[in-house]
Amino acid sequence: MTEHLQEGVYHAPGQRPGAAFCLLFLRAAALDAAVIQRALTVLWETYQNLKQGLVAELRDPALGDVGVPSGNLTVLIGYGIKAFEIPGVRRPAPEELADFGRFRSPLLQGGGPLLANSGQSYASDVSLNPASEHIAVQFIADSELAVSRAVVETWKVLDPMVDAASQLHPLQIVAFYRGFQRDDHRSWIGFHDGISNLPSDQRHLAITIKPPSNPDDAWTEGGSYLAFLRMAVDLRTWTALDRTQQELLVGRDKLSGCPLAGMDAAGKPIPAAGCPVPGTRQITEPGNEAFRTASPVADAQLNASHVQRVNHHRNDFASRDSLRIFRQGYEFLEPATEAPGFRVGLNFVSFQDTPQRLQRIFQQDGWLGRTNFGGDPANPLPGIDRLLTVRAAGIFLIPPVVDGERFPGETLFQTVDPARMRRATRKKTARTKTATPTTSRRKKTSTSLS
Amino acid sequence: MTYDTPGNADQVSQPIQTAWNARIQSEYDRLAPQLGSRFFTLDPMGMAGAVESNAVKWFGDPAEPVHCVGRRAARELSDWGVRGRHELHNEYCEYAVIRQLDPASGRMRPKRVEVTTELREYWLTLARLDPDTLRTIVADVLGFQPSWTDLYGVSDPHALGANQREQAFANLVAGDGRQTQPVGRLNTERALFMTHPINGLDDLLYIVLFGARPYARRVGGLLQPATRDQIFREFDVEQLACRHADPAAASGAHAQAFEGRTVAFANPLGMYIHSFAQGLFSYQNQPVPGDWVRFSRGTVGRHQRLEFGPPDSHAAFLDDIVVDANGTERPLTGGYQVVQQIEVGPWVLIGQPTPVANSEYVEISVSDAPIVCGGTSVCQRIRSLKDEYDQGRNLARVAPRVMGRIG
Repeated sequence: MTEHLQEGVYHAPGQRPGAAFCLLFLRAAALDAAVIQRALTVLWETYQNLKQGLVAELRDPALGDVGVPSGNLTVLIGYGIKAFEIPGVRRPAPEELADFGRFRSPLLQGGGPLLANSGQSYASDVSLNPASEHIAVQFIADSELAVSRAVVETWKVLDPMVDAASQLHPLQIVAFYRGFQRDDHRSWIGFHDGISNLPSDQRHLAITIKPPSNPDDAWTEGGSYLAFLRMAVDLRTWTALDRTQQELLVGRDKLSGCPLAGMDAAGKPIPAAGCPVPGTRQITEPGNEAFRTASPVADAQLNASHVQRVNHHRNDFASRDSLRIFRQGYEFLEPATEAPGFRVGLNFVSFQDTPQRLQRIFQQDGWLGRTNFGGDPANPLPGIDRLLTVRAAGIFLIPPVVDGERFPGETLFQTVDPARMRRATRKKTARTKTATPTTSRRKKTSTSLS
Repeated sequence: MTYDTPGNADQVSQPIQTAWNARIQSEYDRLAPQLGSRFFTLDPMGMAGAVESNAVKWFGDPAEPVHCVGRRAARELSDWGVRGRHELHNEYCEYAVIRQLDPASGRMRPKRVEVTTELREYWLTLARLDPDTLRTIVADVLGFQPSWTDLYGVSDPHALGANQREQAFANLVAGDGRQTQPVGRLNTERALFMTHPINGLDDLLYIVLFGARPYARRVGGLLQPATRDQIFREFDVEQLACRHADPAAASGAHAQAFEGRTVAFANPLGMYIHSFAQGLFSYQNQPVPGDWVRFSRGTVGRHQRLEFGPPDSHAAFLDDIVVDANGTERPLTGGYQVVQQIEVGPWVLIGQPTPVANSEYVEISVSDAPIVCGGTSVCQRIRSLKDEYDQGRNLARVAPRVMGRIG
């Protein structure tokens, strides 16, 4: 079987995601899996047409199609843990999703922790989590129109679909979240963000699912897990801090983006020596590549900063223990009823071979355990323990693209036509036979089990 | 450089400290001819501007069985008493579960977990040179004064020579560090210090020395750091990639070497508990009481021992504690769920970057394809262990009046 990562994960060298983002959440009705499969087949075909600039109502078999700009749309589909509870699904939930694929639900009155021992909490006005649905579909394109059109076309496909027996819609739009890329490489708090992401040629090592130990999960190999958090930023709290306080929380110089390396006698942070290189002002400029990832520091306060907490300097990206993830976030600005009349934040999106990586980042002391953003969780600056609040959160399996499937993950719902799968099966068998045993040069690799 | 006792946990005599340092030096000298490089030094005194870091760390739960038999079976096997410990606790973190009779149910239930990261070689040094100090420290750790017979197998270890004492202590308490695990009760019913052969000082030195080279791969004509899997594949030790400790230790050293930095073990050399996500555990919907989490055998940041669970004076048992796993609360049934939330590792010193000459790079061109951990030879043995465990469980399930195997 040939399988590879779905599009929409812009991890390869030279790839740049489009400027507009939308993540759409679909709820599956309690109908037989085959009904859901048929709905997804039509939906996926619609998306493939949109990628070609083809909209259903602008097509005419006799006169020819009228195209629209596709905006270089990419579409990615993922399945949450609930998808494996749809009656008649053909596969059990993969172990990694079952063990690490849930966030806590918000409290009925709103708020509540995202995970135990985590510093992340739902916003106090959030009592439902729309990102915990069965299915997520990510749209990324060059234009806001292209991703918005995909949402509307989804509705046009799903609205007429009604199961004759139950009168239920097989799939229903529950929510969608939009976002945009920033060309200043900064976030709403004014600091550079996402610049110490994994090296592009090694991102796949952290992203793609390795051969699972459980044979039932073999079908997920080559896929990934998407984690999504809609995180609002409390700008009032942030702007109340002075620049030094902000820099110590982030771990970078605010203007240049250079990582902090130490503190002077007056308690002022000192950027890494030589950063930025002469002739440049910002770490994003050429020549500063070596500084984009912060080096280890000795100072306890700097060690508690955000950049040091989320990256403990491990480069064995393939190891789940490295807790390295590939981030592909998009900022947002949305209206709000309360002052100041708007809300800003980040659509945090990450891809990883197991959601355990992210869960551990959020839960482990020394990482973001008990910490909302950065600093000492025992003595937080005023309001910093609520700087970020979660408005929605979910984890989804991103199945690989497999020959013979009409949409990624189709075999979850229905046995795929054997004729379509036959060729793929032959390839899988051939590959398995190439596995070779390993030997050790280490003095003591293990003791006898006998 | 003179290393203090691990964790600065003990005040020992000068001869013991000298002997401890000699043991470290000896292990290094054995490995250095083959693996030594300028990117590792045993003596960090000359490392101007070095930064002390705990970045080389990993989680304490056994990784290999997860790859081989899945996470659920890995937990069962790792919690399989001393058998699980001796076979699987090879991430520089061992534990023992203390069981006590529950008067209410008449059943034996888990009461506490003892987790240790202490190096066996240090204890051998104590046992070899100073039985009285050894016995005092054991009593302090275990809470009772052990007999000489339990420590050495004789009533008067002072009458033995140093080599005889070390051998006797190894037999009963420490194991031989190669194939034989200890047979005495002090370090099998309890977790006094690590005994698994892989959790030794020699293997720690080996893997850091192994990693401390600027392994490189050529990408578009430029030298880039080699990947984890390339390094382990190049040297035919792919199975090491399937553990927590080795990739972390080797990659940590490699990352620094590639930048021309020298690494060293910070003083005191030891294996430490760097973090414990205590907040994941609760008792009766409240945080676990503070006196149920007892770190020891080291100063803050350098603890080598954790006892987790209610004290004898409390009626609760370990499985009255729940752990929040994936938003679901589950009873804490053994040590595996505890060490899953623990990060362990040494403290290291990282030197300033220096230019790396072209001749120093170790260029690697083997595939960077992911190593398939489920296919390593280790898995054959772990699957055999699981078969044995399953057979034992089936025996235990037979109706009380008819003993025999089901099926």
